[in-house]
Amino acid sequence: MVPFAVAGILLVCGADPVSFTRDVLPILSDKCFACHGPDATSRKADLRLDDATSARDTGAIVPGKPEESELLKRVLSTNANTHMPPAKSGKKLTPQETELLRAWVASGARYEKHWAFVPVARPAIPAVRNQGWVRNPVDSFVLARLEKSGKTPSALADSYVLARRLAFDLTGLPPSESQIASLARNASATSIGKFSDELMATNAFAERMAWDWLDAARYADTDGFQGDADRTNWPWRDWVVNAFRTNMPFDRFTLEQCAGDLLPGNGPEQVLATAFHRHHMTNGEGGRDPEESRIDYVIDRVNTVGTAWLGLTLGCCQCHDHKYDPVSQADYYRMSAFFDSIDEDGKAGKAAKPYLKYQSQHVARGIEAGQRLVDERKAAESRTRAEAMAPFTTWLKTARAHVGAGKRAWQPANPLRAESVEGTTLRVVDGFVVASGNNPRQDDYKIVFRPSLPWVTGIKVEVLPGEHGVGRGADGHVILTDIKITARSSAKQQARDVVIATAVADFQPDTKKHGGYGNVRDTLDDDPRNGWASFDRDVKEPRTLVFALSEPVQLDPHEHLVAELRQRSTMGDRNIAKMRLWATDQAGEAARTLATAPIDELAKVGSGEIPKKLENRLFEQFLATFVPHRQAAAALARAEKQLAETKAAQSVDVMVLAQRKEPRSTHVLVRGVWDKKGAKVEAGAIPSMAPWPKNTAPDRLGLARWLTSRENPLTARVVVNRLWQQCFGAGLVRTPEDFGLQGDAPTHPELLDWLAFEFMDSGWNLRHILKLITTSATYAQSSNVSAEALAHDPDNRLLARQTRYRLPSWMIRDITLADSGLLNPAMGGPPVRPPQPLGVWEDISMGRNRYEATEGPEQYRRTLYAFWRRSAAPAFLFDSAQRRVCEVRFPRTNTPMQALALQNDPVRLEAARALASRTFINNQSDTEVVAAMFRRILSRPPTPAESAVLVRELVRAKTAFSNMPDAAGKYLNNGTFLAPASIDKLALASRAVVAGMIFNLDEALSRE
Amino acid sequence: MSNATADTLLASTRRHFLGRGAGITLGAVALDGLIGSSIRGEPMAPPRQGRAKRVIFLTQSGGPSQLELFDHKPDLVKQAGTELPASVRMGQRLTGMTANQKQIVMPSRCAFRQYGQSGATIGEWLPHMGRVADEICFIKSMTSEHINHAPAMTFLQTGHQLPGRPSIGAWVSYGLGSPSRNLPDFVVLVSKMQRPSDQPLYDYYWGSGFLPGRYQGARFRNASEPVLYLQDPDGLPLAVRKGSLDGLSELNRMRAAQTGDPETLTRVRQYEMAYRMQSSVPELTDLSAEPAETFELYGPDSRRPGSYAANCVLARRLAERGVRFIQLFHPDWDHHSRLPSWCVARCRDTDQATAGLITDLKRRGLLDDTLVVWGGEFGRSPVGQGDWKSIEAGRDHHPRCFTMWMAGGGVKAGHTHGSTDDFSYNVARDPVSVHDLQATIMHLLGIDHTRLTYRFQGRDFRLTDVHGSVVNGVLA
Repeated sequence: MVPFAVAGILLVCGADPVSFTRDVLPILSDKCFACHGPDATSRKADLRLDDATSARDTGAIVPGKPEESELLKRVLSTNANTHMPPAKSGKKLTPQETELLRAWVASGARYEKHWAFVPVARPAIPAVRNQGWVRNPVDSFVLARLEKSGKTPSALADSYVLARRLAFDLTGLPPSESQIASLARNASATSIGKFSDELMATNAFAERMAWDWLDAARYADTDGFQGDADRTNWPWRDWVVNAFRTNMPFDRFTLEQCAGDLLPGNGPEQVLATAFHRHHMTNGEGGRDPEESRIDYVIDRVNTVGTAWLGLTLGCCQCHDHKYDPVSQADYYRMSAFFDSIDEDGKAGKAAKPYLKYQSQHVARGIEAGQRLVDERKAAESRTRAEAMAPFTTWLKTARAHVGAGKRAWQPANPLRAESVEGTTLRVVDGFVVASGNNPRQDDYKIVFRPSLPWVTGIKVEVLPGEHGVGRGADGHVILTDIKITARSSAKQQARDVVIATAVADFQPDTKKHGGYGNVRDTLDDDPRNGWASFDRDVKEPRTLVFALSEPVQLDPHEHLVAELRQRSTMGDRNIAKMRLWATDQAGEAARTLATAPIDELAKVGSGEIPKKLENRLFEQFLATFVPHRQAAAALARAEKQLAETKAAQSVDVMVLAQRKEPRSTHVLVRGVWDKKGAKVEAGAIPSMAPWPKNTAPDRLGLARWLTSRENPLTARVVVNRLWQQCFGAGLVRTPEDFGLQGDAPTHPELLDWLAFEFMDSGWNLRHILKLITTSATYAQSSNVSAEALAHDPDNRLLARQTRYRLPSWMIRDITLADSGLLNPAMGGPPVRPPQPLGVWEDISMGRNRYEATEGPEQYRRTLYAFWRRSAAPAFLFDSAQRRVCEVRFPRTNTPMQALALQNDPVRLEAARALASRTFINNQSDTEVVAAMFRRILSRPPTPAESAVLVRELVRAKTAFSNMPDAAGKYLNNGTFLAPASIDKLALASRAVVAGMIFNLDEALSRE
Repeated sequence: MSNATADTLLASTRRHFLGRGAGITLGAVALDGLIGSSIRGEPMAPPRQGRAKRVIFLTQSGGPSQLELFDHKPDLVKQAGTELPASVRMGQRLTGMTANQKQIVMPSRCAFRQYGQSGATIGEWLPHMGRVADEICFIKSMTSEHINHAPAMTFLQTGHQLPGRPSIGAWVSYGLGSPSRNLPDFVVLVSKMQRPSDQPLYDYYWGSGFLPGRYQGARFRNASEPVLYLQDPDGLPLAVRKGSLDGLSELNRMRAAQTGDPETLTRVRQYEMAYRMQSSVPELTDLSAEPAETFELYGPDSRRPGSYAANCVLARRLAERGVRFIQLFHPDWDHHSRLPSWCVARCRDTDQATAGLITDLKRRGLLDDTLVVWGGEFGRSPVGQGDWKSIEAGRDHHPRCFTMWMAGGGVKAGHTHGSTDDFSYNVARDPVSVHDLQATIMHLLGIDHTRLTYRFQGRDFRLTDVHGSVVNGVLA
């Protein structure tokens, strides 16, 4: 490991003399400050190594005399009692680090301010030998360092790579064919500049920029805690997109989001902007003290400002002075005072005031789109209704014949056996189940039966009186807490659950009067604290309960049904005395109501004429089994629901900031505990960072001005670093969330400062900085890397090449949609729910939240608009920010789960199909087809070797599909996109397979 | 690329990462995919061989009542209906649900029985647990710092009450990796319930926090697809899938030769692992080959896919296949009312299956190196919520003392560690904090909890924050 450390140091130092901030401070901070740093409470021996005076006065450091300095003596000591850092700290100095400390003390032990806390000045542009390579000052800084290390930049990237890089970085979408062609003709700096401008003028640019800001803002569409209730803060997301669309200067962007509610002459848009500070999670857990929650929110805002604007890990100071950075706990709570007097009370859900009632201009388009879908589906539903008439006539004839032969809606279930769990004796007598013997306080009856019906749609339970009444207990009453039906096979060990959809009873008592027992619906929820009961009626009266199954159940020859009737009531002693089970195969109302079933009415009619009303009932029942209509009706219902939901979004409550009338008094919280109030503090910014702007009140307006003042050393650096990260995959500071002493030093400090200064000078113009970066020669380098270069600089700290990395998963989805032509570029409005596997929300919330996937063209909106549930983020995203706290760095890891999603997610399959469907022109050869799809996805033609592999797979797919007659049809059914019917299914399926392969190439998933 | 080559690459990169001295800045973009985000790593201690090779954590969410299940307080009957003495309560914080009512003592709602040679006392609602009492090491002196569900469960899972840190399974996966080549290191199984639970099981309970995403728990769902997107698309012939994968790997290698990016080869490996999972996961979750006797042992509910009992069978199968950290979640232990129906219901869901799992692991020789942990985020108060005399009374949250238990994997069998006072309100002897418990689990796996760290936002984080000591009293 040592050679690496050495290489690392050499890389950092070059031939320079020792620098305090670059070389020494990181060592002191990491190894010493925990006990000898800014945090007063954990300080040992009253020694501060972060403070020159303390270090000198205590003799720890004697400038120029390392051998007399206690620091060096301790570090070099071999005595375990005096050696520093102490063994129990787990910290150790490497010989190189010790040497750096020695060299620094020897050269006079000069202290300097940490680089990031020094105000930004414009550095001189360094001279370079290879001036011809330089396109703008960015390159001078990069090249100067390369030349000093004796290295050279990489060659220019291929023009298609460059086109893709620019389009991905700036819009998150692929370049158009004409853009690729134009850059292929001319990839000069001017041409790239024009291309950048063109991209930055698009709405897609604004949406791409918004994504990272939403991550930083921990934006989500739900509360996060307990119940994870929905919120409607999405208009703020559109505010952000609009801010980037209009290139709002970053200082204004800051001002409106921090204090739009306080701005003189503000309008709803400015108030809307402040939702930024309300995106924290909210906790409405029963029994939780709302004040504790409120404090959490205030703290979260301070931490978010710390990360998003200042690049500081302020969170440490909630409990104590910062251990490394010059921020005290009091500073922290002074910052918190800016956010402490919001007119909020710590509540969640729909009570999370203050709100802004907001009407979004983006909803009208959604309503129009929703209405179109409803209209289409209404027409389809009517068509299938008409189509049903002919088969209905046939069905009715058969039904009359069956009824004539004695068929009725309900058939006795004739139990095979019945057993109890707790010891009741159950006997089956003439089809009745009769209880006797032990009468436990609680018991479950399991009744095994096998109806001789083609399928089962419902179960009827008759509860019948025994000796005393329907129940065996003291009062003769019955409670049924839950009913469960399973299908068991004698050939299989595992059972399957049979889901019950509805429950009705011929009588149910008032639940409130009987300790929660009454409502028959409650027998379906697996909760023994509620259920159905026979109270309030004579115990000698029989009762009838009818349960409709959510799907008809077909039993295989080895299967039977088990009905488990549970009496697990709190009070107990309410077991059933006698009962009988029935089953039905009738669709529609028969199993959902207690009314006489239509076919039983039909039986009454005999061979006479069927009254119109009965015929209608029979027709409705038939429709419920007529698949085309069932599907069309369900599709229509879903579209109507979707439309209603969009309409409801016309006016929504957005959580925003507003000051309360009586400001709260803010205190230091002892050890960060919400109700342990320490000294009172007044609002103020961190004094060690920048002075408070003159003539500015200590409120959030002032805070925003402080954040974006020229004296603030952090904000501009932090922001341009993130823009650099957007264009290189990693920032100049590799820890974008931490510019403090424990963060990484910048790889190119002068370049960072130059960009930061330029950023402020340009009026905080984001596009100006992005253009500078993207038009540099540094940016235009190839990302290809030799083994030697990789070994020398694995992290690309010298920037002798561009970076190649996997695209974020949200971008992969957007690019896939765009490549296939499915992308719906509509902007704004309430979030949509792109299809994801069934059950993702339901499993997490035990069924409380149901994911109803958006249908029609809205499902193909950009991922930015996908609904974000905090307890279960979109299942098709990987490595994304969690949207729980502010995040500004994007991890990239590899999990096989993502490989599975990328191959099998229906949206990827339908995109491949949509793309393949566009190759059916001019009778193209296999080679031409492969080349066309390849170009579309990868923006370049395939090499002959690549083409050969893909053609081979195309042929393989054709053969396989033609050998399996149904396969192609099924394969084309994944997802909802329908290709023109004129296209040959087999050919389309084969081409879709190959398009899918290309979508899964590493190159397609990468930004090069 | 052959698996062997890929593994070598991974291993060398991992060493590479571990070998970097502290204080040297990295921003390992090229290595991100293999190892993680840019890390300045303290060299990690090579783990010594632990007593346990794997963990099965049977998490009972909601706060099971120690007073009805394990912490027998027969004398409390004498105090029934009296106010909890202030000397016992000591100003302890209450939730908003009971803060405004009198604190009236409510004795256990059920009888207790004594079992086995160890003479452990267990509430009558858990009749099956008695059979395995001699395998269990009870910790009756657990304490937590948090009184609300989400913070307390987050604390139990991640060592901190706010979301954002890695879960214990993620730490273990990061620290030890997995001997299984075809399954994830960390698998989560959540019981399928009919009733919407008031405490959602947030996916960050098994998240990787700031650790790379690959360490997060893989939740196997109770669905035709246990892992999301596991199944090949409808209609895709197997030969075509196999051909596509081969083709992908050929094409990716062509590109890698040009770009020189080792990440591309990782991608190949990722797709290969995905392909293996497509057969290994269904094989794992298909219980049809299990003999009837298995289901008899774990109880009738084990025949219902997705039930806690079925998940216990799956847990044993995962353990057999070498998965490192297996975590079950069973919700709805938050019994603020009606213990005789509500708490009984959760006992019935879990009792036979939990006992069956211990028995099954034991007879298969797996219990020796499998650590089974049972427990929730806190316990419940000896004070009645609602009218203590009413059958409808329940108990409020209580973090000051509660019971968890462990079995197998290097802990004392038939042992009880720690005790509570006469009220089961405070710990009387040998308190065990959540961080202590975490430290002990790590220790049993051969990990020094103080040394398994990850640098994030300038700080070396660990599961146990700056706390926790191994509970030597439970070690065999």
